[in-house]
Amino acid sequence: MKRALSILAVASALGGPVLAEEFKWAGTTDPQTMDPHAVNSAPVLGFLNNVYEGLVRRGKDMSIEPALATSWEPIGNGEGWRFILREGVTFHDGSSFDAEDVLFSYQRASNEVSDTRSWFSPVSDVKVVDAYTVDILTKAPNPIFPDSIANWMMVDKGWAEANEAALPDKENGNYATLNANGTGAFMVSEREPGLRTELVPHTGWWGEVEHNITRAEFTPVQNPATAVAALLSGDVDMINPVPIQDAERLAGSGDVQVIRGIEARVIMLGMAQESDVLKYGDDEGKPNPFKDARVRAAVSHAVNVPAILKTIMRGNAEPASQLVSPAMRGYSNANADRPAFDQAKAKALLAEAGYPDGFSFGLKCPNNRYLNDEAVCQAVTSMLAQVGMMAQLDAMPVQNYWPELRADNYDMYLLGWSPGTFDAEHPIRFLASTPNKEKKLGSWNFAGYSNARIDALLPMIQSEIDATKRQAMLDEAAQIMQDETAYVPMYVQPLVWGTGQNISLTQRPDNFFILRWVSVN
Amino acid sequence: MSDQTSQSAPKSMFARAWDSDFAYKFRRTPVAVVSALVVALLVLSAVFAPLIAPHNPFDPASLNLMNGFTAPMAANEFTGDVFWLGTDDQGRDVFSTILYGMRISLFVGFSAVLFAMVLGITLGLIAGYVGGWIETIIMRAADVQLTFPAILVAMLIFGVAKGITPIEHQDKMAIWVLILAIGLSDWVQFARVVRGATLVEKDKEYVQAARMIGRGKGIIMLRHILPNVLSPVLVIATISLALAIIAEATLSFLGVGAPPTQPSLGTLIRIGQGFLFSGEWWIILFPSITLLSLALSVNLLGDWLRDALNPRLQ
Amino acid sequence: MLTFVVRRVFQSALVLLIVGLVAFSMFRFVGDPIDNMLGQERTDADIARLRTELGLDQPFPVQYVKFLKGAAEGNFGVSYRQGRPVSTILVERAPATLELAAVSGFFAITIGIGLGVFTAIRRDGFMANMIMSVSLIGVSLPTFLIGILLIYLFAVELGWLPSFGRGDVVHIGWWSTGFLTASGLKALILPAITLGLYQMTLIMRLVRSEMLEVLRQDYIRFARARGLKERSVNFRHALKNTLVPVITVTGLQLGSIIAFAIITETVFQWPGVGLLFINAIQFVDIPVMAAYLMLISVMFVGINLIVDLLYFAIDPRLRVDQKGAK
Repeated sequence: MKRALSILAVASALGGPVLAEEFKWAGTTDPQTMDPHAVNSAPVLGFLNNVYEGLVRRGKDMSIEPALATSWEPIGNGEGWRFILREGVTFHDGSSFDAEDVLFSYQRASNEVSDTRSWFSPVSDVKVVDAYTVDILTKAPNPIFPDSIANWMMVDKGWAEANEAALPDKENGNYATLNANGTGAFMVSEREPGLRTELVPHTGWWGEVEHNITRAEFTPVQNPATAVAALLSGDVDMINPVPIQDAERLAGSGDVQVIRGIEARVIMLGMAQESDVLKYGDDEGKPNPFKDARVRAAVSHAVNVPAILKTIMRGNAEPASQLVSPAMRGYSNANADRPAFDQAKAKALLAEAGYPDGFSFGLKCPNNRYLNDEAVCQAVTSMLAQVGMMAQLDAMPVQNYWPELRADNYDMYLLGWSPGTFDAEHPIRFLASTPNKEKKLGSWNFAGYSNARIDALLPMIQSEIDATKRQAMLDEAAQIMQDETAYVPMYVQPLVWGTGQNISLTQRPDNFFILRWVSVN
Repeated sequence: MSDQTSQSAPKSMFARAWDSDFAYKFRRTPVAVVSALVVALLVLSAVFAPLIAPHNPFDPASLNLMNGFTAPMAANEFTGDVFWLGTDDQGRDVFSTILYGMRISLFVGFSAVLFAMVLGITLGLIAGYVGGWIETIIMRAADVQLTFPAILVAMLIFGVAKGITPIEHQDKMAIWVLILAIGLSDWVQFARVVRGATLVEKDKEYVQAARMIGRGKGIIMLRHILPNVLSPVLVIATISLALAIIAEATLSFLGVGAPPTQPSLGTLIRIGQGFLFSGEWWIILFPSITLLSLALSVNLLGDWLRDALNPRLQ
Repeated sequence: MLTFVVRRVFQSALVLLIVGLVAFSMFRFVGDPIDNMLGQERTDADIARLRTELGLDQPFPVQYVKFLKGAAEGNFGVSYRQGRPVSTILVERAPATLELAAVSGFFAITIGIGLGVFTAIRRDGFMANMIMSVSLIGVSLPTFLIGILLIYLFAVELGWLPSFGRGDVVHIGWWSTGFLTASGLKALILPAITLGLYQMTLIMRLVRSEMLEVLRQDYIRFARARGLKERSVNFRHALKNTLVPVITVTGLQLGSIIAFAIITETVFQWPGVGLLFINAIQFVDIPVMAAYLMLISVMFVGINLIVDLLYFAIDPRLRVDQKGAK
């Protein structure tokens, strides 16, 4: 996946006399807080993974590996999990890590005011067995629990309490919003929110050091062209993301290298299935055709995904057939093929459903959330128009987009989903279950897709320990969603990073940038 | 330098115009002639875009995504189609899209400036001539207005319009919202300059004379003061037209502009901006050149007009 | 004079109140902050709880009064995005914008007036016509495009100037300045040109147009006839008398430099209040947006006040008029 390094990869020709071990990188979003329990969002968790650590962590291939716990095993017949903690670990301020910090971090992270609370909904209790042993009890057998807590980061009890940050405070902020004290390989030495964050290595880190960085600086740069210019001129050593269209030319320029991969995020179209009438377009107020599975199937045949991948995505993305990418656990190999691009078939399906002349409707789309989201929606609009489905496209910034979706203001919409647990169960819970506020199910199922069998399968999948049986159920769920075209999955969003020629690093599919795998040559 | 209109003979307007110094000077100024020709050419090709353009880029069903990113005068590698100025990311013919986009830009530009000018001159005259608490209210309203950058005004109007228009009409609304937003953010310039000039003019002898013979306030403002404050208004109006077209582009850069399925010149530049580093130079170059020629000619023409129309410079 | 000032200050306060009101009624259309504050796995209960905590469930007059009470004590609330007091953030970011605005304003005024006078005196000269035409190219392209082109040319292709940011800054008390380091000064060049270009052209064209008119006036001819030196005629007499409209427009333009800084700061990732504001819109950070608008209003109203007072000082007829009106 990584492009071959040029033999001439000495220091970047354009860069000034920068110290070899200084590393500067730019991304689109500044982590809004340094508190690992306040906000459950990728920019925050990705950044803080360099500073804080959990009991377990993900390796270069996304597999779960020991971090602050050296080993773990199920308790009894699925009552929970026992974690044996690593000894001799110190926080950045020098205090030592033990089971009390785990208990404290559980209480902190699962509190009502913490955004990370949902990770602990299967947990019934956390017990300190001794200074280096912790039992985490679950309400039901939970085979994937260790996988689900890789981002649950350990905070020092003494530090948090001394600084009046025993709980995260997202609304007003507190000491932990601006300061960090983790056990990770890097510590925050300077923080100017929204402008720059400086990291230096944690000399007392327990792990084996792979990087050679003495100082690292992160700057958020919103405008993609500015970021590319900064990389080309050597003002930064790494940018994420590289605009897809620039990847090829940058890679060929010889000054920088482009590192490509497949992200965990699947981009799909959702269609209103609860609403009785269409809400937009010339057919506004008429019965909603998307309630008919044949119309939804017609959409999936009408969208020319290979063409989108070839032009807009420039060959950087992979087609998707289900709500998770092939890299995720529980991916259904039996359902790996997506419906073929077939305009005749789409038209036939529409005619069969009673719409031989098509219809007009509204398509909502974000224009700053996913890679080239607006261009993709435009392409979808013209592809659907070719089979008679006239979409009225309304693209908007994401801050206006979610409220529109929550208010059900769409006939069709674009959605990207990256499963936090890296497991196929996650999208079923959030996107495919019948919405149920009390059980906290289907909270992103705006479309209102509902299938009794899927609802019945979900709890069974969640508690099944036998991997084969579990996979069979996931296959069944994927099959049902394909048969009914619950969504139209289109492609897996690509990851494209750019670095100077003198940088080597590892790209992880969750788009987390792990500084301890970086070396500056 | 006062009342020229009252002295002129009742000749036909056109003959008078052709014989005038004004037309003579125009014919003798190459820059003005060239600018006028460029503006006329661009305006005409925008008006007749449906007749000139090889494709209708606003018809989504006619687009083939596989035509995307075709270089100018080169055959597309999948479809074999050739486009004069290449295609954009959606496979739209850049030449056709420019023509159609220019229609939107010109419409937005003219309408917004007209709106701003009428509003600004009216309020400026009233404020300057009438004075008192009316002036206070107008000029304080101008302060409030100036406080809000154009983008904000646009966002506000977008949001409010979204809230009050029935959802099925929202796609047709974007253009009017742009006009309103750009117009509203621009009237203050006119109002302030007109007021400033009116304050100076209103105590001059010719105005006092008109007042003395019993002319009404409205007549005095329109017939006597207005012609004498038009010089600064023209400077602002010319720049404003070009500026309005550019403001549309800026708004679209910030995510509030013409919809991408019906792009204006500015939206095209915004889209093309994303391909500056990727080698598809034609997507940004041709719309930018068009915008530049349009704005530049309008400005040059305005420059010349201002000098030519000013009686004091003759 | 004193009553005039007092009245204007009172009116200005009223303007500020209205700005706040308009701003507040507008925020509901900018988007919903909740989605940015809660993660992917939020529940409806989380949404409701956060809404209550932020006071977003209250009617907007109540929110406005609450904001005013805070603002009166210099407390603009806490940023939704950063979890820090907005006033702290603004103080941190203001120097960057003010330094940028000062440099580009200085650039716009000096070069604008200089070129304006030059092109007026040499009305039909080749150089003057060239300057007039070339200057128009700069205002015939959108600011963001000019910025990106400058970055492309001077940062990427030539590698002379930094592509983004403010370079190294020196902290003097709470003020951070880029004037004292080489990298800070280099970083100022491209954004200042981008930001000042439009204002420079406008000032230049206005000065030229006013100068041309004044030079035709009788008293200038008399001055020439009296044998006064050309330079003295041009600058002591002519330029001075063009200043009324020039000051009006320049004053307004200085204000819009700050407003336009939003775009320049976005393109150059310049760490000022404009960038802060754009980020605040993206994250629907209502306290930051409200405070920014109030700050800008105070500044604009201040500039307007000064322009009006200068009007007073420069044009004696206005003074007479004002007294007569009493």
